[in-house]
Amino acid sequence: MMQGKRLCIALAAVLWGATLAKAEPPVEPPPALGPPAELADSAGLRATVFGTPPGDLAEVPTRVPLSEINIKLPWARPVPAVFWFDRELRVWFSPQKKPAPLAIIISGTGGDGNTTNISVLRAALYGAGYHVLTMPSPTFPGFIISASSTGVAGDLLQDGHDLYASMQQIIARLPRKVQITDIDVLGYSLGGANAAIVKSIDATEGKLKIHRAVMINPPVSLFSSVGRLDKLFASSIGTGDAGVEILYRRLYAGLANLYKASDKVRLDENFVLAVAATSLKTDAEYSAAIALSFRTALVNMFFAGDLYAGTGVVVDPEHPPKVGDSLEETQRILRGKPFSEYFTRVFAPYYLQHRPNATSASLIADNRLEIIGDALRSNPDYYAQTNSNDLILDRRELAWLKATLGSRIAVYSGGGHLGNIGAREQVSDLLAMLDGRWGGPGK
Amino acid sequence: MRIYALAGVLAVALGGCASEQMTIHGVPSEKRVAVNAAQSEIAAAFADAAATAAATEHEKTALPVAGAAPEDTPADAPSMQTYDPWERTNRLTYRFNARFDEAIFLPVSNRYRRAVPGPIRTGVYNFFANLGEADSVINYALQLRIGYGARSLGRFLINSTIGIGGLFDIAKRFNLPAVPTGFSATLANWGMHPGPYLVIPLLGPSTLRDGVGYAADYGTAYAVNVAGLYRGNASYGLTVVHGVDDRSRVRFRYYATGSPFEYEIVRFLYVRKRLIEDEGLRAKHRKGNTQSESQQENAVAAPAGK
Repeated sequence: MMQGKRLCIALAAVLWGATLAKAEPPVEPPPALGPPAELADSAGLRATVFGTPPGDLAEVPTRVPLSEINIKLPWARPVPAVFWFDRELRVWFSPQKKPAPLAIIISGTGGDGNTTNISVLRAALYGAGYHVLTMPSPTFPGFIISASSTGVAGDLLQDGHDLYASMQQIIARLPRKVQITDIDVLGYSLGGANAAIVKSIDATEGKLKIHRAVMINPPVSLFSSVGRLDKLFASSIGTGDAGVEILYRRLYAGLANLYKASDKVRLDENFVLAVAATSLKTDAEYSAAIALSFRTALVNMFFAGDLYAGTGVVVDPEHPPKVGDSLEETQRILRGKPFSEYFTRVFAPYYLQHRPNATSASLIADNRLEIIGDALRSNPDYYAQTNSNDLILDRRELAWLKATLGSRIAVYSGGGHLGNIGAREQVSDLLAMLDGRWGGPGK
Repeated sequence: MRIYALAGVLAVALGGCASEQMTIHGVPSEKRVAVNAAQSEIAAAFADAAATAAATEHEKTALPVAGAAPEDTPADAPSMQTYDPWERTNRLTYRFNARFDEAIFLPVSNRYRRAVPGPIRTGVYNFFANLGEADSVINYALQLRIGYGARSLGRFLINSTIGIGGLFDIAKRFNLPAVPTGFSATLANWGMHPGPYLVIPLLGPSTLRDGVGYAADYGTAYAVNVAGLYRGNASYGLTVVHGVDDRSRVRFRYYATGSPFEYEIVRFLYVRKRLIEDEGLRAKHRKGNTQSESQQENAVAAPAGK
């Protein structure tokens, strides 16, 4: 999920900048090596970090027009002082000049509506003649603040309703010259699950008449996927913030040494990226990069959820932080907290209180794709693309997806998690699915 | 200061415009190169870094340079906390900068990018970079790095004449790529520590030393007054164009992260980047003492940014 874009590039870059620190042994023993074999294979980790090789990318148009849309949503909750900049939902739109179908893309965990993966998909879809609207993940802070009706992100149905309502508001206000002939939704990672849920909500409410939905590398059970990511973090970085600090020190030293040796006059993004690209070598390093990029997303979601739910884990509900207050300590504490803690200390307390008949077990069950299992099985307009070595799925979950979708799923042999987005095969299959031309693998 | 006051008034004026429920505005189109940027950049830079790593290996085994910079160990890394005694003010300034950027700076620079063709923008960039060579000459002299100073002077002379007032970077084709420097580098060179983190209105993240450096660079430009461009009314227009051109080259958007911790993240990255650059500078100087300056110059790669 290297889609946290610049933030992740920057963070991963500086933090991961240079694990080439091989010349000097680290002061402290390095963290455990590599993820447990059952979590991910080496090729999958590598693909997840580096993405599609430039040579394999599908042909896309030279220019894609882009508009930025900012919208204030009537149901938004009061904006906390420290989130003053997230008052409006921001999405991006690329219109065709003639009547065309609209494709709505939903970002993955913690991503805004303009990530690298989104750019790649947008270019492919625009090139194929779609108007393209790209939306942030409901777990992106900008969405949580401006568009969530609870402020506690991560519940499939709740997030689906908020997304669906936001889409209606936006589409109703598009310029009149934009003529939409049909609407399809798609998303990658968590956004894939969101897309399918949105379609199923629309099937009942009928406000948008969404035609097809494509899930790209979706999770099957949210909490089982995040559990795997927690494990990945623990095995590659360690528990708590101490592991992050050890890692940071090692990487800082490595980057500094390479820079000193390089004769570069400036430490620019390209240098850092290059160092990151050449110095990520072991499974443990790939795992750490992936785990940290998810953790970065979680830190924001955790903070916002705690603030809105008033659960008091890191934010004092009586005295919420103000604009000038330091948040460094809060950030440090949150870096050490896994998804499981978000569930037990923020998510579950909030939803148990607001849903009279819910239990912890029912909350977990409600966050499986199985809640729309019947539609996925019987409705020919749901599709999926995934990879046999996607680290967010276990073997049982992959089997469930295959059994449920039958011929409407493409399973690629490599690519890890999102590591083949934009590749020729992935793009042509995606277009065939959205167009209803997909006849099954290899057809 | 007058620019600052003007900007403040504009910010208030524009910030006061109540927006409708939904606004839609065009931004620069996405180009294929940008779409594939992440992958291409990694790929392109890959070879580069591999070469560097190989060269480093080679150097280590073949040429144990006396006085070479000692390698950092993890214990040498600065703490993850940043010295920021002026945090409250800094945070408010950061917020001011974000609002100013959103209301004025970014829209103007986006329009500039959409309206002005690429080659002309490159000319604008070259023009200001050329004017900046005067500052580099002075600072290289203060750093006692005569070879570099001569290079900057040579670049200035070539580009101002053959390059038509600096619009074209001809010197680069003569194998004299730009290696700009400034007062902050000079102060670092004299051993001054970066000091506390400082967010400067309009300019953004900095440290006390870098802030003093900016001010001194500006003062130098004013004092040297190349071609009479830095004084009088024309200088205001020029400063604005320079600012807009600079902004259009920076791929940063305030609060694109949506994160309440953005201030911490930017501070963390900025300060560590500068610390590493300081270390690099010192290392090059050490090497400079053992190698001849011309040898070292040949090794300097062209800076990115263009």
